[in-house]
Amino acid sequence: MVKRTLFLALFFASSLYARTGIYEKNCIPCHEDMAVKIDKFFYRYLLKYSSEMEVKKAMTKYLKSPKAENSILVDGLINRFGIKKKTTLSDEQLQEALDTYWDQYKIFDKLK
Amino acid sequence: MLALKSWDINLRSREKKTLWSFLLLYAFLALLILAFVAILYYGLERDLMLQNQRETLSNLTNEQIARLKSLHVNFEKDHIYPRDERFNSAIYDSSLKQIFSTLSTQKVNLYEDIYLKKDRIYFIKELESYYLGARYIVLEVNAPPSWGKKVYRKLLLYGAIIFGILVVIGYFLLSLLLRPMKDTIALLDRFIKDTTHELNTPVNTILSNIEMIDLESLDEKLLKKIKRISIASKTISNLYDDLTYLVLSHQILSQDVTVDLNELIKERLEYFSLLFESKKIELTLTLEEGIYLSIDRTKMAKLIDNILSNAIKYNKIGGSIAISLHEHCIEIKDSGRGIEKSKINQVFERYSRFDRSVGGFGIGLSIVESIAKEYALHVKIDSLLEKGTTVEISW
Repeated sequence: MVKRTLFLALFFASSLYARTGIYEKNCIPCHEDMAVKIDKFFYRYLLKYSSEMEVKKAMTKYLKSPKAENSILVDGLINRFGIKKKTTLSDEQLQEALDTYWDQYKIFDKLK
Repeated sequence: MLALKSWDINLRSREKKTLWSFLLLYAFLALLILAFVAILYYGLERDLMLQNQRETLSNLTNEQIARLKSLHVNFEKDHIYPRDERFNSAIYDSSLKQIFSTLSTQKVNLYEDIYLKKDRIYFIKELESYYLGARYIVLEVNAPPSWGKKVYRKLLLYGAIIFGILVVIGYFLLSLLLRPMKDTIALLDRFIKDTTHELNTPVNTILSNIEMIDLESLDEKLLKKIKRISIASKTISNLYDDLTYLVLSHQILSQDVTVDLNELIKERLEYFSLLFESKKIELTLTLEEGIYLSIDRTKMAKLIDNILSNAIKYNKIGGSIAISLHEHCIEIKDSGRGIEKSKINQVFERYSRFDRSVGGFGIGLSIVESIAKEYALHVKIDSLLEKGTTVEISW
């Protein structure tokens, strides 16, 4: 029993720290510490842009040139948390990160 | 008047064909127009029904949107798509990709507003906020029961009434178109009737007087002339019989008796003997004995007379005629000028004549046909141009 618990704990710890993907390395660390979780951003984007293409387009636009008027957040939250810094990722990397983000939270196949 | 009453019997087959073509075309056009109107009417009724459903559907859609909103907010806890027993629904994103559907079909026209398909109404609404990424929501409900039946019943009833009226109008239109033709036929029939009436007495007088002459006391030259007069008179008498038959046939009641065909053919040959003689026609007879038919004797004689007289009339001088009688048929074969293949089917039509070099009204074979029809006899004509014609009557 002790052995098993130890094994599980090790497994979770390793998966937590073994952040291999671009999304996990570049997005999660900052968002983890924020008051508004990363999934809330996703649903907010979905609410405004609907389709995969539109959502990704809007996210790319904001990440490449973050401005208050591009942001999905309401003014109150922007005033409180401010605008993020411009992304340092290349277009391909950004695309890959967004693909992972989309796959993780997309509605398709989740509804029952 | 008689001819007018029986114009439909007298109408020739080609004219009947034309009439049928006209009627068919008329009916087809009437149905086409009716179908067009019916489609328009159906469309209007459908739109009206959809219009009536619109408000209810819009309210239901708003309810569903509210549920979607709640699901969107609580999505990390709940993944169950909201269902309602009153309707099926589906949501689509802005690229028209289906997010989730409980609809009975996968094919939905999102560009429409509301439409009816297979007895189901589809109502499409665009969302203002795209809960769960849904830009379009589609509601599917069953169309009001018996709606279609009601419309079809109405359409059938009104369609049948209008079609009936159109048919009546068509009938009057047709009689209007036919009037000149009917008048012409009536005129011709009346003319024949009047002419025949005036012919009867003089012809009978000539024939009975010829019979009264003591032929043996005459010299050869005079005998020849008398024979010629006799032939001519018999021809006229024959024609008279035909015309009378034609005009009065509807009133003549058949008196069927057992007729010895061998005897009848010989009798008719005797009647035509002078004609045979004058055209120097060689006659070949193959008549079986003891063949009887239950038929009106006068009509059978008329039938044979007409075929024989044609065989003689259209034969060349010195030609031949072969008559054979078997158990189930009479065959009369001549060496005349024949009939063109394309015209064989028309020979039975009244007043149709293909050879105007000899006299006649073109009614002989029409009479043959009507008698044959009455007794279910089968008349078959084979003819080769310049070779001759074979008429076979079988039963």
